[in-house]
Amino acid sequence: MARSSNRRLFTEYRQLFENCPDGIVAGPKTEDNFLEWEALIAGPEGTPFEFGVFVTELKFPADYPMSPPKMRFLSDMFHPNVYPDGRVCISILHAPGEDPTGYESSHERWSPILSVEKILISVMSMLAEPNVESGANIDACKMWRENRDEFNKIAHNLVKKSLCIM
Amino acid sequence: MSDSDYEHDDEDKDNDDDEPDYLSDPDDEFFDQVEPVLKPPPGLMAKEPRGPMGYLDFKFTCIGPDELMSRMHDIVKQVNAIFELPPCTTRILLSHFNWDKERLLERFYDGNQEKLFKDAHIVNPFRQARVPVGNSTILSVDVICDICLMETSHKQLEGLECHHLFCIDCWRNYMRTRIEDSGNALAIPCPHGKCDILVNENIVYRVMQPFPDVIRRFQYLSAQTFVQQHKLMKWCPSPGCTFAVEANSTRGVPVMCNCGYRFCFSCSSPAHEPVSCKYFQLWVKKCEDDSETAHWIHANTKQCPKCKATIEKSGGCNHMVCRNVNCKADFCWVCLGPWEPHGSSWYNCNRYNNSNAKVARDGQAQHRQALERYLFYYNRYVNHMKSLKFEDKLYAQIEVKMRDMQKLGLAWIETQFLKQAVDSLCHCRNTLMYTYVFAFFLTKNNHSILFEDNQRDLEMATETLSEYLERDINSDSISDTKVKVQDKSTYCERRRQVLLDYVYEGYESDIWEFNMM
Repeated sequence: MARSSNRRLFTEYRQLFENCPDGIVAGPKTEDNFLEWEALIAGPEGTPFEFGVFVTELKFPADYPMSPPKMRFLSDMFHPNVYPDGRVCISILHAPGEDPTGYESSHERWSPILSVEKILISVMSMLAEPNVESGANIDACKMWRENRDEFNKIAHNLVKKSLCIM
Repeated sequence: MSDSDYEHDDEDKDNDDDEPDYLSDPDDEFFDQVEPVLKPPPGLMAKEPRGPMGYLDFKFTCIGPDELMSRMHDIVKQVNAIFELPPCTTRILLSHFNWDKERLLERFYDGNQEKLFKDAHIVNPFRQARVPVGNSTILSVDVICDICLMETSHKQLEGLECHHLFCIDCWRNYMRTRIEDSGNALAIPCPHGKCDILVNENIVYRVMQPFPDVIRRFQYLSAQTFVQQHKLMKWCPSPGCTFAVEANSTRGVPVMCNCGYRFCFSCSSPAHEPVSCKYFQLWVKKCEDDSETAHWIHANTKQCPKCKATIEKSGGCNHMVCRNVNCKADFCWVCLGPWEPHGSSWYNCNRYNNSNAKVARDGQAQHRQALERYLFYYNRYVNHMKSLKFEDKLYAQIEVKMRDMQKLGLAWIETQFLKQAVDSLCHCRNTLMYTYVFAFFLTKNNHSILFEDNQRDLEMATETLSEYLERDINSDSISDTKVKVQDKSTYCERRRQVLLDYVYEGYESDIWEFNMM
């Protein structure tokens, strides 16, 4: 299993290297462990996270791609779908068997034909359009709904912080 | 009890080690092999034919882990005789309808078949392209498997009827992960994220052929799911037991697993006849909430005469002010009448039969009476429960006695009557225990009085048997002992059966009136 996960991750790495979508850079942290990746995500245009560059970490299980990786923001992040400790909570990172929230159909969950690229694109769209129905950070959810100006201000500060100008 | 129930049980156990009869002809023979727990003792059997008692029609049988798969295949076969679909498709359909053949047949012929297949997550087998998987026109070209992203020759690709093809290695990894982690082996979707067609057993057996451990796990999970979904099957809830019980109705009637554990078929709680599942659950909840507290409340508190809040006296002063913010009644602890007169010149708490206070005391007495009633039944229920636990000791004593008898030249089989007598005793105690629950919820009427008579007879018979087994057994000769023990235990069993018959008859003819309490 470990061999096939390495092979697949290597292929994905090569494909991402050759043909990378805008706003995403990703690859293994070190050459000798393909199960831990680091990815940089650019804040999507026209959102409060625009111009930010956020560092994230992906940890792959030995049976990848049968099980999904775990993803965490290493940069500070304040977002309805990101736990305060940085863990990302989006449906495609949930294995089909488990359903922590109880209302995700199996379509929206992890499947072996998804990839790092698809995860990172989902995370970018999550930054642009939070899903406040199933929030991971309650404070962020509340602020997003009730006090958008304050939320935008915090996001803007995070952008500055991610660019090391604070 | 020479011709007792328990010898039959032993026979059944022996049968199950061999090939059981009903496998040869599941349709007709299946329910003939009946566990005789509810079979009336021989004395009553003579009076057949009996009235139209539904609960006597209740039949059940124990199914060992190995036979479950063949039971499942039998059902698939029966349905397939009509449908003529691939067995793996039929199985998914059946599973979708929780193994209810009739409902599936109804849907299959009455409704929108396209929707039926969609709901069951299978490709419509009638519209399926007849091209077998892996036999496409682009045979020569290497294709890329969407999971491992490697080039694979087309021959190695596998897939379901939805034609999402992946290489065999990825299928193996996928199935291993899903089967090892999953609790429901019949609900594994196609690995393609946007496709919800379910993996069928054919592809599992085809792809996982080199991995017998995964196939075993798959079969185990299939059996597990089968029993969970099938309305007329239940796992034996006894810890570590691998038997399932199949019955012909979902009634709350006790069944006995081959492991010896007796449980209610409807709610899987320990056997609780004659009380119904609903009132059994109510009772258990009431006991959990109440019993200890109720005793204490009974001994140490009174109620506010106005709002009925329970009050504990914590100081010497008899002027009580209810702490309930909505009540705040002032009253006297002694007479429970309003406090007002106590402070003025017309103080007459010392005089008996003050009318105001009497009303309050009557109200309180009513409430206390309900509590007392509960405690009456609870104490008798608990008493039988405790006795039942002590019978473990009796089993040990009887074991010694049986060995002594064997030393005196009796055969092992000739001493079994003693063990059977203790078995009867335990059954009777168990039934008695729950007769008090039944009686607690019962509204008093003529039928309930008859019930109490039956209860009294059973209790007397049980106590006589219990006393004899525990104390007097050593005073008689062996032949006398045998006659007496058998007489007493047969009588017990008969009393128990009479009581159960009466109760169940009552259920059928709807004579019982219950009080929710």
